[in-house]
Amino acid sequence: MNRRMRSLHRTMGAIVAIFVLILSVTGILLNHTSDFDLDKRHLTSDWLLDHYGLTNTKADAVYLLDRHTISQFGSQVFIDANPVTQSHVPILGGIIIDDLMVLATEDALLLFSPEGEFIERMGESVGVPAMIQNIGLFHGDPVVQTRNGMWRSDFMLDQWEQLSLDGVGWSEPHLMPSSVQDELSQYFRGNGITVERVILDIHNGRILGKYGVWFADLLGAFLVLISLTGLWLWLRRRL
Amino acid sequence: MGQYRYTLRVLVLISLILSSVTVFARGVYQTNQDFLSDTFNDAVPKSKVVWLKGDLASTVTAILGHNYAGLRIRYWRNEQRSVWILEEIGKEKPITFGIVVAAGKIESIKVLAFRESRGGEIRHPAFTQQFKQATLNNMKLDRHIDGVSGATLSVRAMTDVARLALYLDKFTG
Repeated sequence: MNRRMRSLHRTMGAIVAIFVLILSVTGILLNHTSDFDLDKRHLTSDWLLDHYGLTNTKADAVYLLDRHTISQFGSQVFIDANPVTQSHVPILGGIIIDDLMVLATEDALLLFSPEGEFIERMGESVGVPAMIQNIGLFHGDPVVQTRNGMWRSDFMLDQWEQLSLDGVGWSEPHLMPSSVQDELSQYFRGNGITVERVILDIHNGRILGKYGVWFADLLGAFLVLISLTGLWLWLRRRL
Repeated sequence: MGQYRYTLRVLVLISLILSSVTVFARGVYQTNQDFLSDTFNDAVPKSKVVWLKGDLASTVTAILGHNYAGLRIRYWRNEQRSVWILEEIGKEKPITFGIVVAAGKIESIKVLAFRESRGGEIRHPAFTQQFKQATLNNMKLDRHIDGVSGATLSVRAMTDVARLALYLDKFTG
């Protein structure tokens, strides 16, 4: 039993040693992110950007409002090539009322000035209907289609009445204009990936994608096992 | 000698495991609507907005150390209290705070949504109770707030929004 445990302990040790080293080094580096400016340094090599999917800067959603291009990449919302705010849910459309640009997500309206400055996020707590599916205009009034029906408001956007309308001009997705696409590509490629992100992803295994997380879990299990076998051997020796 | 080597090995492994653990504390703890309903006992007053322009914008920038993420802030007020739902970035992502101000003092402060990977400990009442009855004195809180190890930026964010809510309560009151 003792020999088998020792053999298991050694085998585990050999397997996890290299990964323990990687974990230790990356863990130490992450503890000193600010000291080494790891969150300010960027990596821009092609294969790494490809790995992170940054070469192909394809927007998740694009809408044209007046002369502005609204786009969303992940949680980042852009007006033209300027990052303006974050939305963790998809942009579903946009309209212009008076001087406001209004973007709709499923649970809120995001308001912007004509210059693209973020004004406010209006959600259910201020009367905006929930479960929005699209936004449009009906004779200049904002209208949202939700799972519970159609709602209309005025430029204040805080009082909504439920009704049914024909002829609403719904917001529709567009293709990204090539000039804005070029600017956005420059934006992404210019910044690249922070060293901190890469080290963190190596540390937690996400550099290998979804399998990396499972791999890190497996490694964690190995570490627990090697600790237990080590403790067992130590106790056996003392007894 | 051998057992000391094993002890050392075990200790090193335990410390490595502990150092590689990342504390995840992300989540929406309460929706804005539920927070407002709880605070006003389901009689939520109509919301108002304050635009951050001119001197007010400068003061808000001075309180936070940067511009507020938005040109206007919405709030709710009845005779006794004003309620502010404010967002402030901890390290990288915005934290949503709900702050109740009554008679110029913090009645309660709560983390409604936390999106960072670290620092979520600030949501616990054991920490937030330090803010109860805090007032603004020379643009600072009238008391020292004990920090949370490893959550310095989140603590700073909560302290800043508490100051901001107290200032805005006075400004709009």
